[in-house]
Amino acid sequence: MAYVATRGGERAIQSAEALYRWLNRQYDPGFVRDLETHLPYLLDRVMGEGSLWAPELAALAVAQTGGDLYEAVLLLRAYRSTQPRIAYAEPIDSGSMLTVRRISAAFKDIPGGQILGPTLDYSHRVLHLQNSAKPDQSLESPENARSGALATIPYVADWHRQTGLMQPLKPDPTPPAEIPDLTRDPLLFPAPRAQRLQALARSDTGGVLALGYANMRGYGGIHPTVNEVRLAYAQVQVKHPVTGAVFSAGRVRYSQAEVVTKFKTGADGKPALELGFAATLGWNEVKLIAASMLDTAMDLPEPHPAHTEEFVLSHTEPVESSGFCIHYKLPHYVTFGSDLDALRKARAQAESNEREGVG
Amino acid sequence: MSTLAELAFSRQDYAYAFLDAFAKRELRRKILKAIAIPGYQVPYASREVPMARGWGTGGLQVTLALVGPKDTVKVIDQGDDDSVNAANLRRFIARMAGVKTTTDALEASLIQSRHRIPEEILRPDQILVLQVPVPEPLSWVEPSYTRARELHADAEYGLAWLGIYEDLVRYRSNTHGADYPVLVNGRYLMAPSPIPRWDTPKLHLAQHLTLLSAGREKRLYAVPPHTEVRPLEFSDVPFAVEDQRGWADAQTGVQNKFMTEIPLEGGQSRYQLSDSDYARKAALRLEIGATYYDDQGTFYIPGFLAERKASVAPSHAEQSLGTD
Amino acid sequence: MQTLPLKPPQLTQHNPVVRATGLQKTYGQVVALRDVSLVAYPGEVLGIVGESGSGKSTLLRLLNLQESADAGTFYLEASPHDQQDLFTLDRYQARQVRVRHIGIVYQNPHLGLRMNHTSSGNVAERLILAGERSFGSLRRAARESLQVSDFPLGRMDDPPRKLSGGMQQRVQLAKAIALKPTLLLLDEPTTGLDVSVQALVLDTLKRLQYELGITMLIVSHDLGVIRTLADRVMVMRDGRVVEAGLTDQILEDPQHPYTQQLVHAKL
Repeated sequence: MAYVATRGGERAIQSAEALYRWLNRQYDPGFVRDLETHLPYLLDRVMGEGSLWAPELAALAVAQTGGDLYEAVLLLRAYRSTQPRIAYAEPIDSGSMLTVRRISAAFKDIPGGQILGPTLDYSHRVLHLQNSAKPDQSLESPENARSGALATIPYVADWHRQTGLMQPLKPDPTPPAEIPDLTRDPLLFPAPRAQRLQALARSDTGGVLALGYANMRGYGGIHPTVNEVRLAYAQVQVKHPVTGAVFSAGRVRYSQAEVVTKFKTGADGKPALELGFAATLGWNEVKLIAASMLDTAMDLPEPHPAHTEEFVLSHTEPVESSGFCIHYKLPHYVTFGSDLDALRKARAQAESNEREGVG
Repeated sequence: MSTLAELAFSRQDYAYAFLDAFAKRELRRKILKAIAIPGYQVPYASREVPMARGWGTGGLQVTLALVGPKDTVKVIDQGDDDSVNAANLRRFIARMAGVKTTTDALEASLIQSRHRIPEEILRPDQILVLQVPVPEPLSWVEPSYTRARELHADAEYGLAWLGIYEDLVRYRSNTHGADYPVLVNGRYLMAPSPIPRWDTPKLHLAQHLTLLSAGREKRLYAVPPHTEVRPLEFSDVPFAVEDQRGWADAQTGVQNKFMTEIPLEGGQSRYQLSDSDYARKAALRLEIGATYYDDQGTFYIPGFLAERKASVAPSHAEQSLGTD
Repeated sequence: MQTLPLKPPQLTQHNPVVRATGLQKTYGQVVALRDVSLVAYPGEVLGIVGESGSGKSTLLRLLNLQESADAGTFYLEASPHDQQDLFTLDRYQARQVRVRHIGIVYQNPHLGLRMNHTSSGNVAERLILAGERSFGSLRRAARESLQVSDFPLGRMDDPPRKLSGGMQQRVQLAKAIALKPTLLLLDEPTTGLDVSVQALVLDTLKRLQYELGITMLIVSHDLGVIRTLADRVMVMRDGRVVEAGLTDQILEDPQHPYTQQLVHAKL
């Protein structure tokens, strides 16, 4: 029988985990359900970065990690990688989604109308201190819309294309089955655009914001205008493997953003608007606006890190960047010992040089 | 009469050895490719596993793709089987693959390690999996992986040599610590993972297969058995392993194996064998297999390492270091 | 300026070292080179004159194998590829030719040097790329090359970023000639330097040309520089060669109106 090690190391990690759980108290299923109800934007962020739509699991992940979002994202990703890939969904027709918010900064009014929708954008950022003591009394039922929602909401970008300000949309000839999948094919640079958008979709909100913001502040020379931001509920439609019938597997919260940059030379050699695009699971406007700017910035020729594809996509991967950061907590005494050896050698050399009066 | 439930396989939450069959198949193909092109970094998809990236997920995926019920697995971190991260990985592999585990390097069929190669010579039937944080040996001179791949394609390693030249000019000694770059099979420059220089020669003409895998950077590569692995060294400034002559293990008195230095109050140090299972065997006076370095610290392949001199740079290089 | 003994004329008895014919290059809508041909003989200095935008920098990039031409051929006495149009080489072969047979000095030292490495390392890199693996030999060769480039050896291990413009050009030069290239390309090598420094660098170039007999191609808008160094001159405008001939002849008796204008503007 093999010698099975259960020594100090294993006991230590078990105790450490137990202490962590004890300090963070137990959570009950009701708490997990409350998280799902009351913290949708938090869960959206976790699900977007975790690239898995599962609000109940995301709530569980947040509860289980005490709200440590990088850990929660890792939990979702690790769970996701154990799940079989049953099918690829049909492309979402984002024109006919159930759109609840859709705004454009480019024009005062747009075909299909500006839809302000649910947002805190124009709220006063004051703490509702009274609500910490007693339940919120101020809740008013939202007013019903005076007219029904449009079945399809046109794109502002279509208008640009109709007027010739933007290059016509070239259909991607890649058959759906051959679109590279970031989770199955390694990301190599230059990356196919599909993988680039996939990487942005599951990128770290904070990381994308930092690099996107660098571009906005001038490290990039793009002058973007938010063409559109959409928040919606999208049907996940799947083709039945036997009957071939397309059916709805459910609905996910989905958001997308488009920015336009001015004065880039288009394919016809004339200046034209260029479109930057990003989309993700869940509603996460900050991330998408930054990501869609990075999408256009990554085509710029000058090699500034903030708009170099490899730099942007490698450094905004939440699981990889956070994992590598905390890995420095692991013991490194072999490497450090080796470094000390090299340092001592160099110091001895310097001393001997001093003695001999060289250098 | 049997019920349906009895006849059916019981439902399992996870596949054998955690990874699903597709992931394992991809990994095995990439491993074969890596073995076919020694030292070449093969990109792979790299699944998320229930460990943080940077904590051995690359090594773990390779181990999980290779492990079978008859394997005996050893996991080490910094030479120590009992280090918390080694214990955690071993616990996970044992739980997911139902394999025997061991601390004995000679008893294991599969060894996953972070930053060390055991002191005892590994056999042809053993596989060593090294965890790799940074697979790109050029990253210290060329941070872009895209450009580094081009340099590899052209075997254009001038920058790496220049780095050593610069070291020798500025410090008159090579400042590389662990993870000393090596040229594999005369073709690819390879990061041997942050093993100490003491372990670097162990890869040269080894009898065992070494697989190296970086989960975060999604690259795996291999040193097949009997492959030449040579550290980058100028012909007149030989590569040198860590100089630990005179260091003796505080418990056993063993010398000339890789030691960990432990600081003591008052600026003193004591030393401990880094290979914890070697230390266990030495302390219990158990049988120890052949080692890469003998008791005098001589490497088992004669002439591969230059004879160690005083800790300052050799004098014939010294003459040419002058600035006139 | 030191006086050098006269060399016997040695023009056409040799085969040309450099032969480029019908070079053509366009960037998008811009035609940078139209049907440019040139030859250079062993030890000859060929000057290329023209204002910015005339195509002379493009020409240099092509001859340095940094880009390939849209049309045209380029032969260089560069074994083992001397019978081969160098534009047909793959990236790896092109790099080998560049390392062993072509040296270049840029106007902007940032293009030619690693500013944070040592100056000697910048020179040594070229030898490393050619396969030198002895540290002692690298040191010796770097020192020699810097010395013949009139670089003060006391500063050979300073990084270029700490050096004056003139010294940076000397490091570039030492790097370029470290392997005794077949062809030395000089892209406005003294532009932007103080006049006194410029004269000293020109001295060095002239001496090197005499001692090593390297074939040089110098691009400059400064007719003084061309007059000092070049045996023959090509005048370029809008991507074309408008006039070519012996330096004295072109500068004393320009035929093409554009050359006349250039020469007169200078006077």
